[in-house]
Amino acid sequence: MNVRENWRVVLLVVFVVGSGIMLLVPGAPPGSSGGGTGPTNLQYGIQLDGGTRLQAPAVGITAEGVNVSADDEVSLATNVSDELSVDPIDVRVSAQSSTVEVFVRNVTHEELRSTLEAQGYQPSTVRDGVTQQTRQEMVRVISDKLTQSALDSGSVSTLRSTGGQTFISITAPDRDLNELRSLLDERGVVRVYAFFPAENGTYVREQVLTQGDFRRISAAEQSQGGSGAVVPVTLRQTVAERYQEEMVQYGFGQATTCNYDEAEPQNSRGRCLVATLNGDVVFAGGVRQGLAELYASGEFAKSPTFQMETTNMSEARELEISLRAGQLPAPLNFEEDRSTTLEPALAQRFKANSLVVGIMAVFAVSGMVYLRYRNPRVALPMIVTAMSEVLILLGFVASVQYALNLSHIAGFIAVIGTGVDDLIIIADEILQQGEVATGRVFQNRFRKAFWVIGAAAATTILAMSPLTVLGLGDLSGFAIVTIVGVLVGVLITRPAYGDILRSLVLRQEQREK
Amino acid sequence: MVEFEVPEIDYDQYTNRQLAAVPLAVLLVAIAVLAGSWMLTGSPVALGIEFTGGSQLTVESSMSTAEIGDTFSPEPVSIQGVGGQANTYVLTFDNEAGNVTSLVNQAESAGMTVLGSGETPATFGEESQRIALIGLAIAFVGMSLLAFALFRTFVPSVAIIVSAFSDIVIPLAVLSLLRFKLSLGTVAALLMLIGYSVDSDILLNNHILRRRGEFYESTHAAMRTGVSMTLTSIAAMTVMAIMASFYNIDLMAQIGFVLVLGLSADLMNTYMLNLSLLRWYKFEGVNR
Repeated sequence: MNVRENWRVVLLVVFVVGSGIMLLVPGAPPGSSGGGTGPTNLQYGIQLDGGTRLQAPAVGITAEGVNVSADDEVSLATNVSDELSVDPIDVRVSAQSSTVEVFVRNVTHEELRSTLEAQGYQPSTVRDGVTQQTRQEMVRVISDKLTQSALDSGSVSTLRSTGGQTFISITAPDRDLNELRSLLDERGVVRVYAFFPAENGTYVREQVLTQGDFRRISAAEQSQGGSGAVVPVTLRQTVAERYQEEMVQYGFGQATTCNYDEAEPQNSRGRCLVATLNGDVVFAGGVRQGLAELYASGEFAKSPTFQMETTNMSEARELEISLRAGQLPAPLNFEEDRSTTLEPALAQRFKANSLVVGIMAVFAVSGMVYLRYRNPRVALPMIVTAMSEVLILLGFVASVQYALNLSHIAGFIAVIGTGVDDLIIIADEILQQGEVATGRVFQNRFRKAFWVIGAAAATTILAMSPLTVLGLGDLSGFAIVTIVGVLVGVLITRPAYGDILRSLVLRQEQREK
Repeated sequence: MVEFEVPEIDYDQYTNRQLAAVPLAVLLVAIAVLAGSWMLTGSPVALGIEFTGGSQLTVESSMSTAEIGDTFSPEPVSIQGVGGQANTYVLTFDNEAGNVTSLVNQAESAGMTVLGSGETPATFGEESQRIALIGLAIAFVGMSLLAFALFRTFVPSVAIIVSAFSDIVIPLAVLSLLRFKLSLGTVAALLMLIGYSVDSDILLNNHILRRRGEFYESTHAAMRTGVSMTLTSIAAMTVMAIMASFYNIDLMAQIGFVLVLGLSADLMNTYMLNLSLLRWYKFEGVNR
């Protein structure tokens, strides 16, 4: 066998072996964890492995074309939140993108517009939705939350519909819908307040720390000698001085006791540091002697580390996740979400069944090809080539760590269909009347066959390409598999089939002479 | 064992008009069906929940389908048993049924095991309708331009485009008549059909226009290959449609079913409509 003449076959073998490695050798695909659970490196999506997918838009409206300078960002945000009586965290002003966003449901476009106009700004448009920057931050926060809270992190991305609305799409393989929703329902807002009696004796609450003030968050741990748990935290240097001064100013420069009454805060006694998560108090306590001395002496700011206490470990974990992941800039709109959730048991069944369907389709195709040619020398390589096409595709899917769903399996079957079609074109062209004896005749016929195949491949790719970019759910996977399959076929497997067929036919002709 | 030989049809017996009449009549009937359905129901094809919004639950329960239906308020619009799996049902609700969480709760409080659930809000559905139409339009226009680019002559290119159009319209009309609901899977299949069906048209045009040889000889050569191709694909898709609907894997069943219909229509369109146009072009059109 001449390698130079049969380089196409060699190329096919290289690809098949490469795909085999990608598919079967643990850890072969770049970026894979290595410790896969199944016998292959294939990743399965929720339809085949179970889990939940949630797609929801962010709550919020955006005013665009607000010419605010960077210096006025903070004051405008404060004024807008006061004016609309919404929480300051629900207003975001960006000088860079000239936008003002409000992340609550009940503010109308007109209200935001007139508020901004009252502040002396002329927004060009007010629209539903949030800015891209906000969405990207949401994607980061949500994926942090998923990573922090479970073993299998799932994936988060934005999904743009052609109508202009953008959805955040979250896939979590190991959660059901309710778990996922409750994880995302809360924005993870952490605040720390100083709670102390003012001069007239009534208690006041002053916020001393927010989410962004923490530099490092250590893992939650059981507190020593107590029933609760703690999250050790380190403040940002820039914040530490101010915080220290405020603590002294509010009377925490000496040890305080605290008896916080959550139901009736005014009935509390002592001076308390109160930490809230999503508005709920997770910790309220006094300041110990040692820490108070550090505040008073100003030593604290040199090493601004302290422990946030909670009553139990699960609260500490939640606090840690929220501190680490940061708060969700805007809430998700669960009233307009699209969700799919599937029990792993049912998904496993789909996996097995769709495999059976695929194998049966291959049998059907093989049977037809055999009936048509009656010559195993033609039919067998055809079936083997078509199978190697599927193998290469699987290798591709494994190497890019694409999560397989039902739509991809349908794509594989479609690829087998088109693949065999093209092999039939090649076989018929080459096997037509007359000997193939000379290389030139073969080349000529092969080229003719290839014109048709190329044209057909181009139409298929063209027809499927809108699906890859339009947000039609699962169908982009189907389209991508089909397009890659067609490309693999045209570039690798079909040319190789021509070579295989030629050497088989030539040998037969020689024998007959 | 069955012989599988592509029959040699004596096209000389039929005039171009006769050949084209059948597929054109079928196409007209199909368009009439779609138009009629549009006037009666407001949509040429019934739309599934992916396009209208709604919810779906997969539950395991020993209750009968009627009992399952009574459990919910509002009742599901359809209850389907899952093949090969006793006591497993797929329930579909329209978008009046409200949040999927409340449906899951209703099912669980009635003692059913919920294996899976999904929901599409109505706004999402309308959006999907628009996108699906845009996708089909882009794919179709792209294919048409490519056909012109490949053959650079009017009649053969138009022949390809008309038969591809008919390949899409006929399955749609069948879906409409059977009141099958259009889903994402069906849209994928329709797009796939553009790719699949054009194969045999390109093959035929190529053999007749770009090669030497007598018209009927070329036609027969193209048919031998083309019919084998299409039948092979039909075989694969029939198996997929039957097996997947047995297992209740909707997406695959829909893709398979639409492709079987479309490819069968393609056999007729390619070897009657496209062929008659090409014959007219070759023997009369060119000489004018």
